[in-house]
Amino acid sequence: MNNAIEVVGLCYRVKSFEIHDLALTVPAGSVYGFLGPNGAGKTTTIQLLLGQRRAARGQMTVLGGSMPRDAARLLQRLGYVPERPHLYPGLTVTEGLRYHAAFYPRWDSQRAAELLHRFSLEGDQRIGGLSKGETGKLMVLLALAQHPELLVLDEPTDGLDPVVRRDVIAALLDYVSSHSATVFISSHLVHELERICDWVGLMDRGRLVAEMPMQRFKNGIKRLRVTGAPAAVEDTPFVLLSRESAGVGGAGEVWVVRGWQSPMQEYFTTMGAILREVVDLDLEEGFVELLRTFRGLDSREA
Amino acid sequence: MFKVILHTQWKWSRLLIAASLVAAFALPILTVQGFGIADPTVWEARSILRAAESRSVWYAVLAAGIGLLLATSVWSADHRGDHVYALSLPVARWRFVVLRFAAGGLLLLVPVVAFWAGALLASAALSLPYGLHAYPTALALRFALATVVAYAVFFAISSGTTRAAGVVLAIVGGLVVVQVLLHGADVDIDFLQDLFGRAVSWPGPFGVFAGRWALIGV
Repeated sequence: MNNAIEVVGLCYRVKSFEIHDLALTVPAGSVYGFLGPNGAGKTTTIQLLLGQRRAARGQMTVLGGSMPRDAARLLQRLGYVPERPHLYPGLTVTEGLRYHAAFYPRWDSQRAAELLHRFSLEGDQRIGGLSKGETGKLMVLLALAQHPELLVLDEPTDGLDPVVRRDVIAALLDYVSSHSATVFISSHLVHELERICDWVGLMDRGRLVAEMPMQRFKNGIKRLRVTGAPAAVEDTPFVLLSRESAGVGGAGEVWVVRGWQSPMQEYFTTMGAILREVVDLDLEEGFVELLRTFRGLDSREA
Repeated sequence: MFKVILHTQWKWSRLLIAASLVAAFALPILTVQGFGIADPTVWEARSILRAAESRSVWYAVLAAGIGLLLATSVWSADHRGDHVYALSLPVARWRFVVLRFAAGGLLLLVPVVAFWAGALLASAALSLPYGLHAYPTALALRFALATVVAYAVFFAISSGTTRAAGVVLAIVGGLVVVQVLLHGADVDIDFLQDLFGRAVSWPGPFGVFAGRWALIGV
């Protein structure tokens, strides 16, 4: 099994929102960051992947099995942390663990006890009385103690304070490094994923805008400061995402490009322009630029 | 798996179960108050039977109420979480529904047994005149069946989506509107009464709620 998740031609529609012809590949053993602004369709895609919603069309393969046909079997090998707390609030933490464990044959009680201690959770606390951070930690604990091959995490740290967020991420990374599990993590907190992901997929308006290894994403997107460029440029060796005036105090223009490599500097010389500066964009800036380009193309198509 | 589902069900419904236990135990005893006449006239015996029959409607009401409340409590926690937890568990949907149904159904035994005990106690405490008899076990069986029917119906409604419940309500409302329109147009067709009659008479699904429920009979 080379890929933990493969999605081809996935279509789904609810009211005015649509996921159209989505294709997604999550390599086995990777930490895949599923990025997108709020309302992009990340949670819906995850719910489709887990068989919680029924797609109109398309094929989904998760851990080598077909979803949703083999959902009951595949979900045993998969840990899931949903966007919103989903546990039964009337149970205590211990009862919640016991309830959850009964459904998972590979449940690791020792690991659950360790994480309970590590996350400073008390067994006799009512789940409904836990703080947001404690609930988040409990959900991650449940997902990790069931010994999953694939972790599907939907905004697992959203709304958590930095200390809890760090604890949760550390526990996840510990698990991944010791069990070679695959992680599919959605978030709109781009800078957080930048540190932990080795693959990235960017979703917007129900469509996958880009999917590539994190390194390529980070290296490939640059901000260039250019002077003397003609108004119309053609046959660029890179993808020109945006082109704007450098603004007050700046000279020339700022170009944001994808697929940049050093030898491409020659291109500017041949068209009589001067490349003044090449700046690496961090993931968040790259993410914003990609979205901006995609939305620009999208509105032109419409 | 069933054990933990039963445990969660017990946690959510224990107050309801405790209240239904008290009500189910007390109702048969309360409904025979004033029936203990040692040597009644024929007129008094008839009035006992009439009173027993008129009070017996509360047995059906209690059975329906317990079924309704327990069925609602079965899904309440899942409804609050939009069923995300249940859907994320590695168990087929139909199996999860069966387990939830069975867990709630098992808890119905508590009020049913309490009702039976109450009916036995009420019967034992009565000194009935010649010709009248108490039927505590038969009544308890009828109560059990009515509770299960009410539980099953409301469980099915409660486990459906809001949309499904809306469709059911729309159909019922539509039938009522049609009946009112027919009545207003002086058309002599009363299909609602006919439907109701079929539903509550044998072999209709709610036949168990109609007919004789009295603890005391001839």
